[in-house]
Amino acid sequence: MNDIFDHNPQGSLLFKFILLASISATVMVFDYRDTILHPVRTTLTMITYPFKYAVNLPFDTYDYLVDYFNEHSKMAAENRQLRSTLDLYVARNQKYHSIASENIRLRKQLNAIPKIGEELLLAQVLSVSGNTFRRKVTINRGANDHLYTGQVILAGKNIYGQIDSIAPDSAEVMQLTDSDHAIHVVNQTVLKRREKSTDEETKTKDQGRGALAVGTGKTNLLELRNIEANMDIKKGDIYVSSGLGKLYPPGYPVAIVSSIEYNSGDSFMKVMARTLTDFTQTREVLAIWHNKTMMDANQEEPESQLKKNKANEKSTLKK
Amino acid sequence: MGNSVSLRFTGAIIASVIFSFLLLLLPLPDEWLLWRPEWIALTFIYWCLKLPKKISIVLAWIAGLFIDVFHGSILGQHALSMVIVVFMSLRLLPRLSISILWHQYALIFLVLGTYLLINLWIMAATGSNPATWQYWLTLFSSLLIWPLYSWVLSFFHIERSRFDEF
Repeated sequence: MNDIFDHNPQGSLLFKFILLASISATVMVFDYRDTILHPVRTTLTMITYPFKYAVNLPFDTYDYLVDYFNEHSKMAAENRQLRSTLDLYVARNQKYHSIASENIRLRKQLNAIPKIGEELLLAQVLSVSGNTFRRKVTINRGANDHLYTGQVILAGKNIYGQIDSIAPDSAEVMQLTDSDHAIHVVNQTVLKRREKSTDEETKTKDQGRGALAVGTGKTNLLELRNIEANMDIKKGDIYVSSGLGKLYPPGYPVAIVSSIEYNSGDSFMKVMARTLTDFTQTREVLAIWHNKTMMDANQEEPESQLKKNKANEKSTLKK
Repeated sequence: MGNSVSLRFTGAIIASVIFSFLLLLLPLPDEWLLWRPEWIALTFIYWCLKLPKKISIVLAWIAGLFIDVFHGSILGQHALSMVIVVFMSLRLLPRLSISILWHQYALIFLVLGTYLLINLWIMAATGSNPATWQYWLTLFSSLLIWPLYSWVLSFFHIERSRFDEF
């Protein structure tokens, strides 16, 4: 071979082994403690992207062909349904615009910071399998589409996860169910229940309805931690994101309670919840800009925001 | 082994490693994912058995780095365990008569067991412990698939019996 220890291959093997093992150990320490190796990971991810794309391609083509040869009547029915949904949304959007402009006007009168809508981008989940015990997927959008690390990813109207690492044309998304992931949530159903109840005492009691939804590493399963034993919680309660921690936008549905266990004597209940996103079925996800636009919007004058919105309104009215 | 083994074409080892990466990335339902064999480690063990002079420990290290990138694990974790796989296989090789399937199984069990254990230690130390016995299922699926997989990999080389030359 090409090394200088050719007369002693066993010794050369041992030498190479020790060398490579110590390099690996050093790399691990740096990757765990520091961020200087991120460019290396990004470069390797870029090299491997065509590979992932190639594996994904036949499955993608299969989906496409299935769609293509779908029955015409079924397609037409689906199309009609979609059109009616679209009409519904257009009507709703109209209302939303007037409410948004009213909101901005009121906020201006209150001298408050303008709250701005969110921007979305559709991305596709590549069908490649990853680590068995982590819940991470690759999507086909990356830094070139202005995605950033820590960005929130939605599936429909539910939360899907956040971007963990990013490359120019792809990004790794950590799902809600990853064992390293946690999100602060609040019980939405309990609020509705309290509104209905006439008892004044329960109405005012608003403490401790939040919880931490921690990933279990299992498909579609979350564990709700820090729920006190005296909490008003039922199977089927829906938890939405609270917006605490400023990463996730508030009010997006996260999970539905599936089982509640309580051992007498414990101070917390053991609550498991199913995610509202079905991670096995979701193929298309939305990247959302909400923190960033908020920051950008802060620099923009409220006046110009108003003008912009009026212009928007006019254009929608014309249509 | 008495038989002369040569590669079917130049770069056959790299081609087989790329093939194993394709198998690694093949989309599987979540229930099956637990049973996914360690394709890349198996490939390197295979070449260690067949062509111990041709196999490069550096290639194993690079392959390990790529596994880390694909799996999103800490950089260097699989690189270290892959290096250990090749080193252990090459060191155990002279101690076993490798043409016997039973001996092959013993070697794979030991080497893959160490591979998984090292990975488990590193994962536990960095706070992403799988915390389930199902982690070890992959060891058994790797052993089960071995006869079939080694047959598939035999397409990457030519094996000539001593008597063919006459």
